Amino acid sequence: MRKIRTGTVLTLAALLSLVPAGCAKRPNVGTQNGGVPLVGFPQTPPPPHVPGKPGGVFRLGIVEPVAIDPYNSQESEGNLVTENLFTELINVGPDGSVSPGVATSWTSNPDCSQWIFTLQHGTTFHNGEPVDSVAFKRGWERAAARSAASEVAYHMNEVQGFDAMQAGAADHLSGVDASAPDRLVVTLAHPDCEFYLRTFKTVFSPVPTVAGPADNKAYNDQPIGNGPFMMAGPWQHDRGIRLKRFDGYAAGPKANLAEVDITILPSQSAAQGEYDGFNNGTFDWARLPTPLLSQARATYQPRGEWISKKTAGINYLLPMVTTPPLNSVAARKAISEAIDRVAIARGVFQGSQVPADAFVPPALPDAYQSGVCTACRYDPADAKKLAQQAGLAPGSTVNFQFNTGGGHEEWTAAVTQQLKRNLGLNVNYSGVPFTDLLNNEQQPGASGIFRAAWGADYPTPGNFLQPLLSTGAIGANSPSQPATGDNRGRYSNPRFDQLLAQAAATPDKGQRITLYQQAEQLAIGQDLAEIPLWFRQQFRLANTMKFANMYLDFAEEPTLAEITLR
Amino acid sequence: MTRFVARRIAQAVLVLLVATLAIFLATFALGDPFASTGEKVVPPEVQAIDRAKFGLDKPLPVQYLTYLGNLVHLDFGVDFDQRRQVSSMLAETLPNTIRLALVAIALDVLIGVIAGVIAAVKRYSFTDVLVTVSSTLAIGVPTFVIGLVLVGYVSGLWIFPVVPRSFTVQVPWWHEVLLPAFTLAIIDAAFIARLMRGSMLEVLRSDYIRTARSKGLPERVVIGKHAMRNSMIPVVTYVGISLGVLMGGAIITETIFQYNGIGYLLARAIQANNAPVIMAVVVVSVVVFVLLSLLVDILYAYLDPRIRLD
Amino acid sequence: MSRPSQLRDIWARYRRNKLAMVGLVVVAILVVTAIVGDYLTPYDAFEQNLLNATAPPSAEHWLGTDVLGRDLFSELVYGVRLAMIVAVSTVALSLVLGVSLGALAGYRGRATDTVLMRATDIFLAFPVLVGAIVVVRAAGQGIWPVIVALALFSWPVSARLMRGQVLALREADYVEAARSIGAGSRRIVVRHILPNAIAPVLVYAFTSIGVVVVGLASLSYLGIGVPPNVPEWGRLISQSVPFLRVPGKTHLWLYPAIAICVTTLGFALVADGLRDSLDPKLRGEG
Repeated sequence: MRKIRTGTVLTLAALLSLVPAGCAKRPNVGTQNGGVPLVGFPQTPPPPHVPGKPGGVFRLGIVEPVAIDPYNSQESEGNLVTENLFTELINVGPDGSVSPGVATSWTSNPDCSQWIFTLQHGTTFHNGEPVDSVAFKRGWERAAARSAASEVAYHMNEVQGFDAMQAGAADHLSGVDASAPDRLVVTLAHPDCEFYLRTFKTVFSPVPTVAGPADNKAYNDQPIGNGPFMMAGPWQHDRGIRLKRFDGYAAGPKANLAEVDITILPSQSAAQGEYDGFNNGTFDWARLPTPLLSQARATYQPRGEWISKKTAGINYLLPMVTTPPLNSVAARKAISEAIDRVAIARGVFQGSQVPADAFVPPALPDAYQSGVCTACRYDPADAKKLAQQAGLAPGSTVNFQFNTGGGHEEWTAAVTQQLKRNLGLNVNYSGVPFTDLLNNEQQPGASGIFRAAWGADYPTPGNFLQPLLSTGAIGANSPSQPATGDNRGRYSNPRFDQLLAQAAATPDKGQRITLYQQAEQLAIGQDLAEIPLWFRQQFRLANTMKFANMYLDFAEEPTLAEITLR
Repeated sequence: MTRFVARRIAQAVLVLLVATLAIFLATFALGDPFASTGEKVVPPEVQAIDRAKFGLDKPLPVQYLTYLGNLVHLDFGVDFDQRRQVSSMLAETLPNTIRLALVAIALDVLIGVIAGVIAAVKRYSFTDVLVTVSSTLAIGVPTFVIGLVLVGYVSGLWIFPVVPRSFTVQVPWWHEVLLPAFTLAIIDAAFIARLMRGSMLEVLRSDYIRTARSKGLPERVVIGKHAMRNSMIPVVTYVGISLGVLMGGAIITETIFQYNGIGYLLARAIQANNAPVIMAVVVVSVVVFVLLSLLVDILYAYLDPRIRLD
Repeated sequence: MSRPSQLRDIWARYRRNKLAMVGLVVVAILVVTAIVGDYLTPYDAFEQNLLNATAPPSAEHWLGTDVLGRDLFSELVYGVRLAMIVAVSTVALSLVLGVSLGALAGYRGRATDTVLMRATDIFLAFPVLVGAIVVVRAAGQGIWPVIVALALFSWPVSARLMRGQVLALREADYVEAARSIGAGSRRIVVRHILPNAIAPVLVYAFTSIGVVVVGLASLSYLGIGVPPNVPEWGRLISQSVPFLRVPGKTHLWLYPAIAICVTTLGFALVADGLRDSLDPKLRGEG
């Protein structure tokens, strides 16, 4: 008995000794090393061009793509493979600039309802078949067919005859004329002066006759294209994809690498897997898990193995602008000004992300308007005032949802804390699988804010504004129907739509951009229809000791066709 | 005897039916596999076409019966992700999991039995305390922690292959299987050591053993032959269950080590709401477990006639 | 022998077992920490300080900070309460289910027994992870779905254990005696069989508290389980994975792993001690 008593007494004494420490909780402040990291890692310049030497095996890791067949290739993994297996009408450089692909030149009529692409002679597919206008028409129709159920065919929605094909009423695109093998004439049902920009998407690839219909599994797993690389064997699902140089490539400079080995990693921790693989010598190229960014930068930048690039994307919060409590500009601005973007960028992102002050990012330098988002600054005092104005009193409930599995737990938790602290809001914070998130955003009664991100499909500011903020992009005939388009916040401003329509009908690029800028000033500067958080920046590790010419292209993929052994 | 076997088989079939129904219903709770998973929305017309292709627009009972019918032909259908035959995915991954399970069992029986016997024979000695404490400690460490530590610090050393590795690198299976097997074996070895020790302690106190000792048999024979045989029963039961569970695929461990077994397959399928694959893997696990359970029961009934009458 | 003196004998035997006493002390500390710990921590376990993330142990933060800058020591203390609540609820739930169904099956035998055995087969054969994921996805995040999910897969073992015990005791002399004087089955089960059969189930219950704690950590490691901002031990470990091979960040996963380990160890030692001291009782004497 005595033994027990002593033990109990000792324990209690130990616990009691903690009381002075614990009764009043200390605030958790304090920093490491005193020095605060910069916000926004500076962009590394594009590497100096080294003349190519044929040979070398380049290795990297990705997650399992949805598809590599151009009819359905959609996300960055599939895109990586498809854009190297195929060359489209135009090429887009890392800075968004457009150059000829298979098309040597292109023109449109004054109202941009018809486009003529003049094609190169003599280029072939990997199996020797010629690449001509018929090949393009074949590829486009293959993806547009109703039975293909392509998830990326919508890029063709302006082409005449697309709707008919999608409805199953036609099996040819009436708007595409391939009667002359070296000329592709495209007639648009919806005139668009930026149509040509879309054609660099892989869904616009030409395909050989052996491709057959979209459900040809042999072709799905081993597409035969016209690009600088070809498949060295079929896609080994969940294991890897092997590419080899196409020596008959004539649509541009040949590739240098002899082979590209793409290992497929489990999607749960893919960035971690790529990083570990880079460290253990398995990969020559890797993404980075966010928590390790500043660590990795400190280690690899001195060695010249670090790449950082501003890309055409933006991370933001999607507010539901037609339902309370965020159906007023003041409420949205209050939320925006209560978020300390700099602190989160420094803390969670270790200084790697750049707080956004506009919606169209600086990666599109001609269109970027620094500071157009006046509410993108941290001003808790003003935020409180605006909140009061808007009736967003302390204690009001605001929903905040994000998608799990994307590494967003930390920063969204930080935002939640800031909203609670600065505005006294009762934040209904939860993480759900991506499909559920999308579903919740679409519902008629949806309210609050949702984590969102957008990467531009085409190198134009219009691609930030039109799909996300135009009335036509809501995809619901009435407020009581789910919003099936990309404008799930349901922002609708006739003046904004008008500006966009005007831009789409303006052949001159400079004038177009001015119109887009005015539109952005309206939707973001004035109405804050989206709450911009950080501009998208991408970081990679590259094995520069062994290879040269490694950079990120516009679609954030490694520039495989230029990479060469040193 | 035959009546017993027949009855048990009938029951096993019933279990399989109920289990497959449960799995089937459960996969619907996991969500619609054709809803958008990327940043861009999948148009509803496209989703409808995909769903019709996979027969998801038919009423549930019809889907279930079609599925059962296919199962009998070993046709697990086609998966949603890659439009591949699920049976080929299983054929690729199941042998790896079986290898992993067998190696893990071999390891944990070896370690566990030896440790348990020593601890029991030398009760209250330092060895006993060491075994007891370390086996209890081992139960307290989650498998994923062991796996993470091994993958972080040990993989790449000696013959252990690096993780992750390029898919073009060929690694002999007996190198690949070691670390994951060890990760799985530790916890089971701990349980087996404890079971063995407990069971052995009881047996050592029994009249049977006292008699054997008083007959003058050498201690080695007493322990090695008589005591071991009688104390192995709970261990055999445990190993039976464990083998069944391992055959079902160790999801976390296989994923951590990038080991191409059905557990890894299941983990990826769950992420993608890939119902046919999930169902196939779970069905396989259940079938294996039920079969093993059946075999063990029949074995016991053969060895102990009393059980048959129940 | 009368009850109180039986208990005293059990306790006497227990005390003699040094390891068991260590386990008891550990469990006592855990229980006390679960109750009052939160009030005694130097920091709020949920408060983030992003500028001081992954800091190594120091005078201000005894165990360092995690990836969000939260004080690791305070988080571990909070985790004790969470683990205790989940583990005890889960075990209680699965015991209630398991003991009653197991006793029923064991005593009635035949058809009831067969149904129970096959039902446990189904639950044992079903991969725990898939089942847990389904339950959590269907019921949403939070503590109760996790408890239900974990209990759903632990009850079969206690049911089988109980059934085994009851089967063995059914034919015991004193049960025969009770039957011969006309006692009804329910009375026999509850008053005579249960107290003697419960011993190994109780022992299992203590071990399984540790197992459930590990199970909770595994679920949280996978992202199912408690909501993402709750500092549960398994969640802390999964957040530390990117830092596994980074020198100087071992504290991120080591201390939560130790916490899990110590908790399981404490309860398992108590379970062992209980089993050893209840030993003669297992045979149903008295």
